[in-house]
Formats: sequence, structure tokens, C-alpha cells
Amino acid sequence: MDNFQEDTSNQSYLDYNDTDFDYDLIGPCSPQNNHSVQLVVGPYVHSIICILGLVGNSLVIVTYALYKRTKSMTDVYLLNVAVADLLFVASLPFIVYNELSAWSMGPVACKLLRGSYSVNLYSGMLLLACISTDRYVAIVQVRRSFRLRSLAYSRLICAAVWALAGLLSLPSFYFYSWYQPSHSRDAFIDEKHSNSTAGAEYVCEFRFRYTTEAHTTKVALPSMQLAVGFFLPLLVMVFCYSAIVGKLLRARNFQRHKAVRVVLAVVAVFVVCQLPYNLTLLYDTASMFRLQSCEGADVLQAAKTVTQTLAYLHCCLNPVLYAFVGVKFRNHFRRIVQDLCCLGKRYIRPRRFSRVTSEIYVSSRRSVDGSSENGSSFTM
Amino acid sequence: MVSIKASVMVITLLTICLLATNASPVHHGCCRSYMKNKIPCFKIKGYSVQTVTELCPINAIIFHTGKGKACTNPALNWVMDCVNRLRNKAHIVHMKSTKADI
Repeated sequence: MDNFQEDTSNQSYLDYNDTDFDYDLIGPCSPQNNHSVQLVVGPYVHSIICILGLVGNSLVIVTYALYKRTKSMTDVYLLNVAVADLLFVASLPFIVYNELSAWSMGPVACKLLRGSYSVNLYSGMLLLACISTDRYVAIVQVRRSFRLRSLAYSRLICAAVWALAGLLSLPSFYFYSWYQPSHSRDAFIDEKHSNSTAGAEYVCEFRFRYTTEAHTTKVALPSMQLAVGFFLPLLVMVFCYSAIVGKLLRARNFQRHKAVRVVLAVVAVFVVCQLPYNLTLLYDTASMFRLQSCEGADVLQAAKTVTQTLAYLHCCLNPVLYAFVGVKFRNHFRRIVQDLCCLGKRYIRPRRFSRVTSEIYVSSRRSVDGSSENGSSFTM
Repeated sequence: MVSIKASVMVITLLTICLLATNASPVHHGCCRSYMKNKIPCFKIKGYSVQTVTELCPINAIIFHTGKGKACTNPALNWVMDCVNRLRNKAHIVHMKSTKADI
């Protein structure tokens, strides 16, 4: 306090007395709830999601690559969804690791991981909408389906989806940067107290040049994610699948109930996984620039972490909901397992792997069989 | 066969990586609201600036006091008065030290 003595002489200028300073300080928030949530969810839950997603989606890709040529429009879509989901879960451990370790992998990893996250999110969601449209055309608009459901056409649509996803992700590539936040780095502090400025950690977050740019982009990007990455696919799915269910219920097919159940499962999983996160994101975006208490901000952040993890889970469920539910796909997959077993008898070492795969196969079969045998009509 | 072996290896490695990370998440606490009361300038040891152009959602001047950090509204006059005083003091120190060097 000695170095401030000259200030006390003109203290009257600002009209303070010492009793003014009895209040509790309102300081920067330290997210405690979110912190503990992240510590649990970060390494453990994400590991499980990552493993399930890697196994499920690589099985889909391997099946397509080795046994089942992409013959139909749906095959092309399913393969693309699997690729998008696989890329997504493959980047997940790196994102989690970096969030936990002050982005130790540096600026290139920051841009790449955030950008690819966005590309995979958009492409995955839009492809799910494409699949529902494809099924709508196949079942409801049967007359047009021969013209609209060609292989070249579907490849073109997939290319367009990836291009659109890339385009929508350009702002993420551009604005995410690797830096030390200036409010924890550049503190102007008297020499005697300057030790607290050292060692600011790096983050990978938005950085803008202008305040107006910051205000618009911080609202525009989540809004775009909500609109194109959630509400558009949701609307398309609800429209297409309700038309499909209507048609199926009118049809005289003894397996129609199973097909309806598959449709309901697809929509229900989409809503259960994506709706909580997107509602939280919507609330967060709407209240972003408003003044909040630290407790409120902390709870919101923790809610975002939990619901986001639920949204990640969607990637692991897609292979079961879309690919393994189909009878044809399962038959191809069965051939893989049989071939693997043959290989396993020949070699001693790989036997372990084939057993693991067949266990997964059996469990996925069991979980799916009950719901639908008529899934083939959905994965033609 | 090779691809499955490779993917099992990758999965195992990733899991080990994740589970081995015992680092705690890093937080750059942002100010989410402002002090309602004034802080006497002589209690302030330093300040840092939080801008909306980075990760935080609002602009703020963070005063470092003996009691801890305080978030204040940069739109208020008393806040900028205190900032200017600190700045002036730094300037005076700078002038004195350059004179001493000569």
C-alpha cells in the first residue's frame, strides 16, 4: 500500500472513504459445476462414445468397402453418413485432450479440429435429411423414384452436401484462433504485484478484429448451426417420415408395423440426442450478451457440456439405426464375420479380434432384430 | 484384417491417451456482470481488459485489488478515471527511469 500513498492526498477528488470498500467483489467467474462435469464427461464418457462410434462406423465402411458395392442411392448416403460420423468421433479425443491441456497441440490443430468438427456436424445432419428424403421419394413418390433415385444423382447430392458443409464451416476455420486471452495475459499491474500476470494458458476460441464483427458473428454462427444443423433436418425428417408412416399405415403389408417402428426410432433418437443440446445452444445464444450471475452462467455451461455429449452419442447410434437395421446389410456383414472366423481358424493371433467383432455383431443383431425385419424396405 | 488390427490399435491408443490425461480443464474466467459499487482507486493495484472480440461475451475492465479481482463496466466514468490514474502512474515511473538511465 506504500506506493499508493501519493494517491491518498487527492483522494477527495473521487470522493471515496474507506467504508465504501466493504462490499463483496464481483469477479470473473470460475465455472465450478462445469469444471467437475467436464472432468467426468471429458475423459470417460467421451472415450466410450469414441470407441463405440469408431467400431460401429468403421464396420459400416468396411462392409461397404469389402463386400457390398454401393449399388443404390441409400448405400451412397449411408456410406457418407458413416464417413462423416467416423471423422467426427476420430477428432473427438483430440478435441477433448486439447480442451483439458490448454490446447497444447498448437494453432494448426486448433483450426483443423474446430473446422472439421463443424464440417462433420453439418454434413452428418444434412445427410440424415437426405436419407429421409430418399425414403420419402422411394415410398411415397413411387412413380418419380426411378427418375430421381439414380446412383449418379445421389453422388452429386453427397458432393453438394459436403461442399455446403465446408462452405458453412469456413467462418469456423477463419475465426477460431489459438491465443492467450488478453484479459488473463495483459494485466497492467504495479511491479510489486506483477507476478500474477505470468503463465496465461492458451485457448482455441473465436477472435475478431472489430467489436461489431464479434457481436454479429457470435450470434450468427450458432444461429446458422441451429437453423441448418438442426431445424432444417428436423423439419425435413418430420415431413418425410410422417408422410411415410401415413403411407405405410394405409398399406396392407404385414410387416408395416416394424417399418413404422424403425421410422419412429430414427426420429426419436434424433430428437432425444439433438434437441436438448440445440435448445441449450438457443438459450445460450439468445442470452449471450446479457449480464448474468456467475452461478447462472456456470449452470448453463454445465448443461451445454452434458447435452453436447448426448448429441455426440448420436454418431454411435447412426450405424445401428440406419445400416445394421437393414436385412441386406446384415447379410453382407454376416459374410464378413464368417470370413473373419475362417481367417481366425487359420491364424492364431487374429482370433481375438474376430471374437470381439462377432460379439459386437451378435449384440447389434439382437438389439435390432426385435425392432424390425422389414428394415430392408428402408435400406434398399 | 490389417485394417481391423490397425483400428483396434488406434482405439486402444486413443483410450490410453484420454485416460492418461489427468490435467484439469483450463478456465479463463470471464466477467459476466459488473460491480454495482465503486472501488476506491487507491485500492486498485492494476487492471486488465476483457473484450468481446475474444472468448468473453461482454466488455469489462478487471481491477486487481488486494481482495481479489473486480469486474467493472468500462462505460462508467469512475472506472476510466481509475484506469487513467494507473496509466499516469506508469508513465511517471517510465519517465523517471529513462531519466535515471541517462
